[in-house]
Amino acid sequence: MISTKAAPKEGQPTFNPVIETRSLSRVYSMGAVEVHALRDASLQVHQGEFVALMGSSGSGKSTLLHLLGCLDEPTSGSYILEGRSVEGLSRNQRAQVRNERIGFVFQTFNLLARVSAQENVTLPLLYRGRQKDVRERAAAALERVGLEQRTHHKPMELSGGERQRVAIARAIVTRPAIILADEPTGNLDSRTGEELMELLTALNQEGSTILMVTHDAKIAAYAHRTLRMHDGQIVNGKKP
Amino acid sequence: MTLLNTLKTALLGLAANKLRSGLTTLGIIIGVASVIAMLALGNGARVAVESSFQFLGSDIVQINRKQLFDDGKYTATGQILSYEDGLRMADEVELVKRVQMNVSGPAKIRFGRNVLDMNIAGVTGDVLDVITKDGKVQPIDWPEDQALTSEAFIGQGRFFTPAEVLAEADVCVLGSETAIDLFDGDNPVGETVWVNRQRCLVIGVMSELEATDSDEKHSISPNNALFMPISSAINLLYDEEPSVYINARVTDEKRMDEAKAQIAAYLRERHGVEKDAEGNYQDDFDMLTRKDILGQQQKSAQTFSLLLAAMAIVSLVVGGIGIMNVMLVSVTERTREIGVRLAMGARGRDVIRQFSLEAIILSAGGGFLGVATGVLVIPLAAKLNEGIAVLDLQSIPLAFGLALLTGVVFGLYPALRASRLNPVEALRYE
Repeated sequence: MISTKAAPKEGQPTFNPVIETRSLSRVYSMGAVEVHALRDASLQVHQGEFVALMGSSGSGKSTLLHLLGCLDEPTSGSYILEGRSVEGLSRNQRAQVRNERIGFVFQTFNLLARVSAQENVTLPLLYRGRQKDVRERAAAALERVGLEQRTHHKPMELSGGERQRVAIARAIVTRPAIILADEPTGNLDSRTGEELMELLTALNQEGSTILMVTHDAKIAAYAHRTLRMHDGQIVNGKKP
Repeated sequence: MTLLNTLKTALLGLAANKLRSGLTTLGIIIGVASVIAMLALGNGARVAVESSFQFLGSDIVQINRKQLFDDGKYTATGQILSYEDGLRMADEVELVKRVQMNVSGPAKIRFGRNVLDMNIAGVTGDVLDVITKDGKVQPIDWPEDQALTSEAFIGQGRFFTPAEVLAEADVCVLGSETAIDLFDGDNPVGETVWVNRQRCLVIGVMSELEATDSDEKHSISPNNALFMPISSAINLLYDEEPSVYINARVTDEKRMDEAKAQIAAYLRERHGVEKDAEGNYQDDFDMLTRKDILGQQQKSAQTFSLLLAAMAIVSLVVGGIGIMNVMLVSVTERTREIGVRLAMGARGRDVIRQFSLEAIILSAGGGFLGVATGVLVIPLAAKLNEGIAVLDLQSIPLAFGLALLTGVVFGLYPALRASRLNPVEALRYE
């Protein structure tokens, strides 16, 4: 794996950013038409930050999130995760990065329907080839999100809020560098959404770095700062 | 991901669609069961061929006058195979040790007021050895653990000797039932019977015989018989010299082909057989050995087996296509799940393993049940094939292995497709 130290910049905190992108672009070719889903996005997210990414649909926020989550590859620009460039990584290496350094929380929860909450939470650990104390770690993660009573329930037997908590437990169980949350409250009623945001806020206070996509200003207000996107570009880069 | 976890995942995946998994397995079950059953049929045919041609001794060349099939019937061709041909063969052909000949034909036999119309046999002196070696008939109630001896076939008196055959002696040996029919229970040895217009001294009576094979007990009647020296029988039965059947016993069965060549050369010289325009001899005789018959029959049995196996494999391939179809549907249905797994850090090989394993479980399950079904179906297959179907033990690992292979081969493409899904698109899939 190629490792390049990000050069420290003036006025930045002394620690290195968890995420640093420079002129990240993503162009989709749809036949003859080229769609610029993301243009020259440069951003930094530092350790312990809670950043909201706002924008209307089609503004490029999901594209950016996919690139940051190593689910997709940029057409141009660089992406440095924890000081290491993820450029040119193989499919398997990107899978490894996703597994070890990224925690995903999706709008639609994306839990495996046929297995219990605990087994859902162990999934990323199993793909790591880990066998030792997998259950204990899953149990601890579930306890952290307040679901210690629901370990053996299947997703169908849980409420929407509980399902999203299982998904959060699954995201934190690997102790990732960053949690990428894509509209985590989008499928929840406002009260449950607020509870979930309180959980995310608490996790952030305990040290988790979070980048959250949302189009709801009330939800974005939980974050330290908000990046706004329009037409594939970040239109404000309010520094912390 | 460890194999155990992958296995668990695969089983859960299959369990989610029990009916579909079951129906897919059914395809493999049918394929594997038909491999087992078809090979049993082929094997049965082979076993039947082997057992039905045991009668021809492995050191014997059977020589017959050539019959040409023409215009819907067989007609004899060229010169007859004469008594003289056989008589000199043992002396003049180096590799022939002994020659046994026979003719048979209908005759009228009379003793006092009792008259029988029956087929009589003209044979050479060592016919008892041949019958003993045949093992097709044996003295009634002969103990199974005791080897047959030619003496055991004689009830009273004796059989005629080679010298009596050469001398054209007018002697005969009666079958046990024939003796009772002619003599009403009196001792026939030393009496004279009329065979056609010739007086003939009875020198012996055979023991009461039965077929060794219980299936043939009612189809052959070894006790209605009259044996005479072949030389005398030819005089008695025929106006013109008849063609005889010759069984030549070779000195060394390892040199069978050489012996056949010598016999052919000997007969060609005696019969004046010439080469035709293409340089082939136009023989007026046929030679047959056990190897010839076995070879022919085994070849056709083998072809039969191959044909059946090919049919069975076709059904297995159809089963495999069923697996592929179901796995492709399954991959499409679970695109979202695959996306989630990829996001959680599953590598391509994790996904390949999961879906390959599902296909392999389907095929292995089908293989296992198919073997059981196949073995159970064999008696049924036997009924369709006149009672001959023998389980070929090798067919079990073969059929099971083929099923597994089918799973591996036909499961690979869907698994590869699953592993190559784009994570972003897979996660978005509705």
